[in-house]
Amino acid sequence: MPPLAQYVFNGLVTGGILALPAVAFSLLWRLLRFPNFAVSTYLTVGAYVALMPNQGLRVPLGLAWLGALVGTGAVALAVDRVAFRPMRERRPFSLAIASIGVAFVLENVVRFIWSNDFRSYDVPVTRALSVVGLRIGRDQLLILGVAVALMALAQALLLGTRLGIAMRATADNPLLAAVKGVPTEKVISVATLGGGALAGGAGVFLGLDASIDPLMGTGLIISVFAAAILGGVGSAPGALLGALIVGIVEEAGTLVVPPTYKTAIGFVIILVVLLVRPTGLAGARA
Amino acid sequence: MTTILTRRELLKASTAAGLALGAPAILSAQAKEPIPIGTLCPLTGAGGSYGPDMQRAVVAVVERINKAGGIHGRPVALFHEDDQTNAEAGVRAARKLIDVNRVVAIVSTWASAVTLAVRPLCVEAKVFVIGVSGADSVTQGDHKGYIARTQPNTNLQGRMYAKFVVSRKEWKRVAYLALQTPYAVSFGDAFTGVLKAAGVTITDSLIYEDKKPSYRSEVTRVLATNPDLIMLEGYTPDSVVMAKDIYKAGYKGAILGPTFAINAKFIEGVGLEVAEGIWNMDRAPLFDSPAYKEFSAAVPRGDQSPYAPQAWDQMSLVALALAAGKGEVSGTVIKDNLRTVSNPPGTVVYSYADGAKLLADGKKINYEGASGSCDFDQIGDILSAPFSVQQIRKGKSELVTIINP
Repeated sequence: MPPLAQYVFNGLVTGGILALPAVAFSLLWRLLRFPNFAVSTYLTVGAYVALMPNQGLRVPLGLAWLGALVGTGAVALAVDRVAFRPMRERRPFSLAIASIGVAFVLENVVRFIWSNDFRSYDVPVTRALSVVGLRIGRDQLLILGVAVALMALAQALLLGTRLGIAMRATADNPLLAAVKGVPTEKVISVATLGGGALAGGAGVFLGLDASIDPLMGTGLIISVFAAAILGGVGSAPGALLGALIVGIVEEAGTLVVPPTYKTAIGFVIILVVLLVRPTGLAGARA
Repeated sequence: MTTILTRRELLKASTAAGLALGAPAILSAQAKEPIPIGTLCPLTGAGGSYGPDMQRAVVAVVERINKAGGIHGRPVALFHEDDQTNAEAGVRAARKLIDVNRVVAIVSTWASAVTLAVRPLCVEAKVFVIGVSGADSVTQGDHKGYIARTQPNTNLQGRMYAKFVVSRKEWKRVAYLALQTPYAVSFGDAFTGVLKAAGVTITDSLIYEDKKPSYRSEVTRVLATNPDLIMLEGYTPDSVVMAKDIYKAGYKGAILGPTFAINAKFIEGVGLEVAEGIWNMDRAPLFDSPAYKEFSAAVPRGDQSPYAPQAWDQMSLVALALAAGKGEVSGTVIKDNLRTVSNPPGTVVYSYADGAKLLADGKKINYEGASGSCDFDQIGDILSAPFSVQQIRKGKSELVTIINP
């Protein structure tokens, strides 16, 4: 048996990738009061946006990654304008269903442009380093590092800037915030842009770690949902913690249950949290 | 894949060819009523890169049959339909072939889903179906003999893969790593069963889920058992992720997979370095057979399709089975005589023309085709097939050896 530590590290990397869309999902849910299931499809969009310059023009992946942040943010913003804004006053349930529709549309636009084939980034595959008996890949280390740094940045923005305060105010009580002069639509736009960027960036990581195909993001929705619920809806650090735990449990879980049940682990986490602690680890604080 | 004809172009071309080459045959057959036979190949959809070549092979065989004077003096008339690699479209097309064209046989179905979907229609209408579908369920259950296939079932495939592994004496510890598919378990049981009997250790058997962001933990578990060969039974997209994760984890041993997954797309996906040295296997045609030589001369680019030689044999077998009858033309005659003309005993023949002559003299025949010896068991599965083994060298899959049954 390989050491448990190896599974924990594997889980941390999976969790790091999950954390970005989980935070976006969680914050947008708190702000707009509906679970936006299109967030996982933003990962797919991000992966393909970075693929274009990386494969076509041989742009280094780091630069293409920045392009994916901006590009996916813009797509998320456009989706908000077209699909969600006209429905702002509807019940959360209607919006959640609309977001599933958006996910379908985006997925098929990707198929239409890039076909059903899977792709890979133009980067060499390298052997993992061996550190005290653990196999640690360079890409994985990079992914984990950047994910944690982005989380820290998001948290700093939320807590330390006027924009962050406005965002939290809108999340707590949109009506009161609007009365007090907070430009709520602008706040929503910024949050949507940021959420899309986070998810798009994670998409590139996912494409780098595995491969790129039109269903890559959609397959993660259960894990993202589980991470957000576990962390407590609306909390960025909660979503990060939730994602890391989901990642570790999914990976280490393969020691106990057959790997074909990986997805089921996400469901079990959702079930247990909703039964035992519906507010999640971090409660409802933002 | 090379350029693919569109469905319309292909239909046009094959109709023209049929008319041009069929015309003298119709004369020699004294303008007797033609025998209607349908093709149901995937000209579009996931099988779209295989269907056109299969259809071309069938057309080429029919040209030869008609030139040789037809079957009992009657020419064969082909009706082509596209199943779109889709069960529903396949059923509609089969209905048309059965009800409108009154075909006695449908040859060259590809996807298991399509063959399974048209199966009840054909059994009910007593129309004979022969295809290249691999799923075990295709020939299981009560089909009264109206179904047969030239593609090995997963059990036979598993045993042939194992035979290759055993023949390479350096592999003593084998891990089985398979995508969750309807055949993952049946293939694995056959594969590991033969290996265990030959004294090879199965270090781990792991079935993994599709569409996961990484397979690091699966790979960690398998590599902890120290295999010197990993049998990777998946499709291309997941095999790419798996092969990369195996490489990253530092594995230096061998990997073997099916050619339909370890293909050019796979090499492009993992890159030259990861792909180097990976083995792959698939059902091979019988390269030395005179039937294969005739086939490859007659069907342009047919040697690049794993299924076209099978389509060639399917049409030949249907024609020979009809010729073995007393002149009645029906699906029942075909199913009753399939094994008479394909299985030993009998004089070995490699083409319809040779076989029909012997049958007319009241001799027994044993057809040996382009794709293999074409011997069928009672449920319609072939008993054996040669397999080819390739290894990726500098980004190209190169033929290493043929494993004969």
